[in-house]
Amino acid sequence: MSFFKYKDVIEEGDLVFAFISRGTIKPITIKKGEKLNTRYGHYEHDDMIGMKFGEQMAGARGIGFIHLLHPSPELWTLSLPHRTQIVYTQDSSYIMQRLNVVSGTRVIEAGTGSASFSHSFARTIGYDGRLFTYEFHEPRYLEAKKELEEHNMKNTLITHRDVCNDGFEIANIPEGFVKDGGVSGEVVFLDLPSPWTAIPHLEKVISQTARVGICCFSPCIEQVDKTVKALQDEGWIEIEMVEVAGRRWEARKDMVKDVGDVVKRLKDIQSRKNQGIENKRHAKVQAGDKRDHDEMDSGSDDGAEKKVQNTGKGFNPFGKGVRVREGDEGFEWRNVTKVEGEIKSHTSYLTFAYKIPLPKV
Amino acid sequence: MDNDITMESAPTEITNAVTRTPKSLTTISPNQHALIRLPSEGMKIVLLKPNGVISLGKFGSFEVNGILGYPFGQSFEILDDHKVKPTKSITQLHDDAPASDDGDEEIEKSELTKMFSNSAESNQNIINIGSKVQKLTSDDIDELKKSGASSNIGQTIIEKMIAGHGGFDKKTIFSQQKYLKRKQQKFLRRFTVEYLGASQLLQYYVEKDIQRILDMSEESLGLIMTYSNVRPGGKYLLIDETGGVILYAMMERMKGEGTIVLIHDNEHANIITLRNSDYPEEDINRMVKTINWLQFVEPENEKIDWDEATPAEIEQMKPSKQAQYERRSKRAQEINEVINMTQEGNFDALISVSTLNMTSFLPYVLPTIGGSRPVVIYSQFKELLLETQHFLMKDKRVLAPSIFESRVRAYQTIPGRMHPLMTMRGFGGYVLWGTRVMPKESGVTAIGRGIIKKKKEETPSEDTPAVETPASETMSDS
Repeated sequence: MSFFKYKDVIEEGDLVFAFISRGTIKPITIKKGEKLNTRYGHYEHDDMIGMKFGEQMAGARGIGFIHLLHPSPELWTLSLPHRTQIVYTQDSSYIMQRLNVVSGTRVIEAGTGSASFSHSFARTIGYDGRLFTYEFHEPRYLEAKKELEEHNMKNTLITHRDVCNDGFEIANIPEGFVKDGGVSGEVVFLDLPSPWTAIPHLEKVISQTARVGICCFSPCIEQVDKTVKALQDEGWIEIEMVEVAGRRWEARKDMVKDVGDVVKRLKDIQSRKNQGIENKRHAKVQAGDKRDHDEMDSGSDDGAEKKVQNTGKGFNPFGKGVRVREGDEGFEWRNVTKVEGEIKSHTSYLTFAYKIPLPKV
Repeated sequence: MDNDITMESAPTEITNAVTRTPKSLTTISPNQHALIRLPSEGMKIVLLKPNGVISLGKFGSFEVNGILGYPFGQSFEILDDHKVKPTKSITQLHDDAPASDDGDEEIEKSELTKMFSNSAESNQNIINIGSKVQKLTSDDIDELKKSGASSNIGQTIIEKMIAGHGGFDKKTIFSQQKYLKRKQQKFLRRFTVEYLGASQLLQYYVEKDIQRILDMSEESLGLIMTYSNVRPGGKYLLIDETGGVILYAMMERMKGEGTIVLIHDNEHANIITLRNSDYPEEDINRMVKTINWLQFVEPENEKIDWDEATPAEIEQMKPSKQAQYERRSKRAQEINEVINMTQEGNFDALISVSTLNMTSFLPYVLPTIGGSRPVVIYSQFKELLLETQHFLMKDKRVLAPSIFESRVRAYQTIPGRMHPLMTMRGFGGYVLWGTRVMPKESGVTAIGRGIIKKKKEETPSEDTPAVETPASETMSDS
């Protein structure tokens, strides 16, 4: 099970994530004779067989490269062709941590959507846990079912169902999935347009011996309002809604530009200008008499020397007029962080609550 | 605030507990640790010794036997003689309040008015006269407190305070609720017993000793656990300066299967928080292998050359000498085992939560991480991860390193009156995540400006693909 255990060497039939660029990660299944075409060159599957996961691979014509990565739920999330809005890692990781999803946990998820969170749940609950996931949209259900099978998610049972109308009960639960005669979920995750209609159906499928945690994932505050009321009516407690704000930061370099250098450069320009005028005059008066440009006053001190880019234009501390790549030697840089260009400022509201089984009398 | 709460049990007791059933994640069980939450939002970690009595300071004391067998998450109210009764939550006033369709506001309003009071529609009639508004003196309250170890004393005090509050009926329903909540936090003799998971342990240290966990928030812990892909059966390399909180979170997710090699900077690893984990020592010893930095950096020098004595030789030793031999033999084996593991490498993740200079240890650590495995580094300070990211981008053995920040904002969760809480914790740390890769040493040409230029010259009409270029390049202005 590739999502459950690492392997080191790529074999035929393996799922491999071709990391093309930050925004482009392509899941491929290795098959002899096939090739991966990207705008950064093409790559033969035959050549991948026998390579190690994590290796860099050069394009067939010697230009471009990709990295061959091992499947993980997080890479899967990044690579997904978005069938629906997906639950991002900042949200999913917090939900699992807060609801104490660990190896062995029994989880109920509706709807499955792109099955991105399903992969993450399935990984964390491991061989001993069970994931019951429900999807009412048939094409999405079929797609997710196929994917879960291909990915060998044997701890996951997907059901085609509209849980809001028909509830969560499953008639013939496979034997390995039954506990206490049913689903007996310990953690519930509802990513539905109207979770309040599904909440009353939960009583029959949640654990009657352990505290059950729930998270409802809704983008609108009006949905939260209705969800909270439904949770209260159904006896859920410790209801709290939160929002997760995620940010990605990139390390960058910013050129240190001192005003002293600006002043020196201006002086330099001025003196060369004057020189130029004089030169021209000289040239008129006395052809062939050249003056050495290096003689001009650039307020020379030791530090300035390394900043001079040889562009034939005198003192040029910031590389004006030439291509400067971030971090190029010959300039002074300081390390800075820059936040990603587009921030996910709102994914969804997360409404958490718990339900305690009634005391045994 | 709850300094008056005393630890009931010596924390070391857990280590010499003998055979035990695996700890329960669901049921309040004897000889297991638990987190107690108080109405004041205070927390306490306790060991549930059968027949023991646990003191919650001003909130009272209770017998452990009274709470055993209930599910974790259950709340209780302290009655007379250290007895308890289960209650729905630590703040809800009456368990038997019927759920009605009128909406909560109506129910709560009727509950409040039951307490001899009405609500105002607005706050226009409130005149601030300070403490004079309360007819009940603090002496009266002390008197009341003394009068009752009786069950409902907290409730009684609150009801009397409301009755004695000259302006209570002039408050709006909202401010009445707030008043009630404040008083409940102070006087209700209730508590909740929770399973001591990694989140609970972290929350406990956030309250008690945030430096121990390097400012880490629950959301950052979740990010670390998810990005590092922790699961049963893995073999992880961990640098953990939190006294074992991260180690505990990993063990919880691994459920006894797999190995964690813990690098530490003292002679012995500090895993003190595992004393509350209820993992038997043999499980900890089996899963957690510790190695110090000297052993990690200079493995060949630090391996112990150990000649096993023959059984006959051992036979000849004096009993004291024999015991010494056994100890040294075991130690040598353990040290050599963990050194071999790090030399073998191929770890399934690097997880670092430490104050060490990252760029100083990464050259030693990176070669031991397996291909395509995650590298996850936590820091309180973004600036330190910034240096690390620059280092990694130059090094090229970690693909697409990025710094992630996650902040959870809590809301007042009352239908019709949802809004973010006015304050939240301002820090929680940053997480760098990347993937360990093996760059080709030669024969790789990136598609960059040069190639595009060439292409342009060849086929000027062709659309050139967008290539990420640093923003600081300046175009020619001459």
